[in-house]
Amino acid sequence: MSRSIDITVSAMKLLIVEDELKTAEYLRKGLAEQGCAVDVAHNGTDGQHLALVHDYDVIVLDAMLPGIDGFTLLRALRQVKQTPVIMLTARDSIEDRVRGLHDGADDYLVKPFSFLELLARLHALQRRGRAQEPTQLKISNLLIDLIARKAWRGTERIDLSAKEFALLAVLARRQGEILSKTAIAELVWDMNFDSNTNVVEVAIKRLRAKVDNAFVPKLLHTIRGMGYVMEARDEAPSNEESQA
Amino acid sequence: MKRSITTRLVGMFALAALAMFTLVGAALYGVLERELTRHENDDLNTNLQNMRYSMERFGDLEHWSRLQVKMDTLSPADGSVRFWVLSDDPRFLYGKGLDEMERVNLGEAGHGSLTLPSVGRTYRTLSMRLAAFSDRPAVRLIVGVDTAPFDHTMRAFLVAFGLLTLAAVGLVMALGWWIARIGLRPLQRLSEQARALRPKTLSQRLRLDRLPVELEDLTVAFNGALGRLEDAWQQLEGFNADVAHELRTPLANLIGGTQVALSRPRSAAEFQETLQSNLEELERLRSIVNDMLFLARADQGEAATGLTAVIVAHEVEVTIDFFEPLLDDTGTTVAIEGELQAQATMNIALFRRALTNLLQNAIEHSADGARLVVTISRRAGAIWIAVANPGPTIGATHLPRLFDRFYRVDSSRHDTGEIHGHGLGLAIVKAVASMHGGATLATSDDSLTTIAFSVGGVPSA
Repeated sequence: MSRSIDITVSAMKLLIVEDELKTAEYLRKGLAEQGCAVDVAHNGTDGQHLALVHDYDVIVLDAMLPGIDGFTLLRALRQVKQTPVIMLTARDSIEDRVRGLHDGADDYLVKPFSFLELLARLHALQRRGRAQEPTQLKISNLLIDLIARKAWRGTERIDLSAKEFALLAVLARRQGEILSKTAIAELVWDMNFDSNTNVVEVAIKRLRAKVDNAFVPKLLHTIRGMGYVMEARDEAPSNEESQA
Repeated sequence: MKRSITTRLVGMFALAALAMFTLVGAALYGVLERELTRHENDDLNTNLQNMRYSMERFGDLEHWSRLQVKMDTLSPADGSVRFWVLSDDPRFLYGKGLDEMERVNLGEAGHGSLTLPSVGRTYRTLSMRLAAFSDRPAVRLIVGVDTAPFDHTMRAFLVAFGLLTLAAVGLVMALGWWIARIGLRPLQRLSEQARALRPKTLSQRLRLDRLPVELEDLTVAFNGALGRLEDAWQQLEGFNADVAHELRTPLANLIGGTQVALSRPRSAAEFQETLQSNLEELERLRSIVNDMLFLARADQGEAATGLTAVIVAHEVEVTIDFFEPLLDDTGTTVAIEGELQAQATMNIALFRRALTNLLQNAIEHSADGARLVVTISRRAGAIWIAVANPGPTIGATHLPRLFDRFYRVDSSRHDTGEIHGHGLGLAIVKAVASMHGGATLATSDDSLTTIAFSVGGVPSA
């Protein structure tokens, strides 16, 4: 039995304004299971009321809504407060994007988006304004020196190439956060698209050979169908990892 | 108002006819006037010579009175011809309205004209001096012919010709309208043919055989457009079938896998396994849909935005860098050759995406340890990036179709799952090229396959 996805967006208070019931429901469920307090509104009018009355950490706002549309809601909200807003737009149209950002959205996601992507954006908003990044990362007995660009497992120095170190740092910085292959390609290689290659799989395999294979506990985990996560787990490796 | 060819033609016919008739009328008028004048002058001359002959032979008063009778006889009652004799001797005067005539300066001998207000007539005159003879002093003999018939004839001619011209122009317009209608009939036939075109009869073309040469160009061009439409239509239909086929496999896996999972009680781990498998299929679907949306945007002629001028070789290096783990794993090497300093204006993400697909394709189709070559070259203002890999030669029939969506040279490899793309990789390369105003090219011989695309270059200074 594998463990649940555990990501540190917990303790956030969120409002989801989304008229598509199935989407609203899985977002509510998924985010609530992350430990967030989630309110849901199915139309613009309710959404605007909730957004103005309560103080949320982040509002996830659909652009196309019955009643008041997302852009109008956003403008009304911005006149009163600066709650961070992630806009969901139906089409990958530049106008929507520009309009949203112009009206004061902090980020946007193009539908259909993946849940992981939304979590990553929430993370990013949460990280924003946080104190400066640490110079060292420690996960179990893995120690990463971000300044010297060196890594140790216990006392043993791990010899990594520049890209391997970058990959390790990206995973370790987002410790506990599942990163899709596309996200990894973007963060490490600046390849900003769905690439349909198995480069990331191979890179992870090679990194795992250096960082994980000879050591306990295992830190680099494959979440089948979703991506990879770096974290210290208490229990024995689950069935997923045999896939990698 | 819409411009009508018929109306324009009729108008132009009318103008041409009017110009024609005016010219002819003016010429005829001139000829007529000259002839009539000549005729009148002959008349004057005959009368004058006649009288002169009689007057020159006799100078006595008796003959003078006979001459007066003769002149009376020769002057018609209507006053169309008149004689006058002027002299200093009052006995040798002749003619009506002499008192008026004295006020008129007749000048010397020859032609002239004379208006007699008392009778309201104008005369064309011919006069001559006769030397004194016998009793008769020197006199001046004048013959006048009334110009009224002349003027009347000319006026009548003008009116008649004007009316004729109007009638003729009207007739020409009517005929012109009819001619234009007949002349434009092929156009009408053409529109009837065009109207009969239906999506179901896309291979139909407009017939050229009964068309006048003037319409041939238009028709050939129109048929060309029809041909392109037919191609696009067929491509679209084939594309729809391909998409449906491509989506069917993951959908069947999803449905089948879920049905099996739900058909009997299972442990949570087994359900998790099913969900994970489903997620993989769903990711595959998402990837196909996203790529198809991308291709659709390129098809709609969307041009690349966010262009930056970069050194192409540098971008190639970055992309090869991305492949490093995979290259390392398979022992494959990549060399960059050609114009390493060449610059191009491009959207970097799109360029990397295209090159990623080419490199992935090259790695997949060559054996481990192969040596790939990326060649950058400049041709006709564009920068070409060619990726060559050793591998089985691809038949010439396949080469132009490599960039088609879902096209696979070896259809048996379709569902092996070993290939990481879904048959859209090279179509995306082509889309990226066209978004940069470029093209694609594939060649394959001697176990070396080269696939290239181009982007707009920056001319080196």
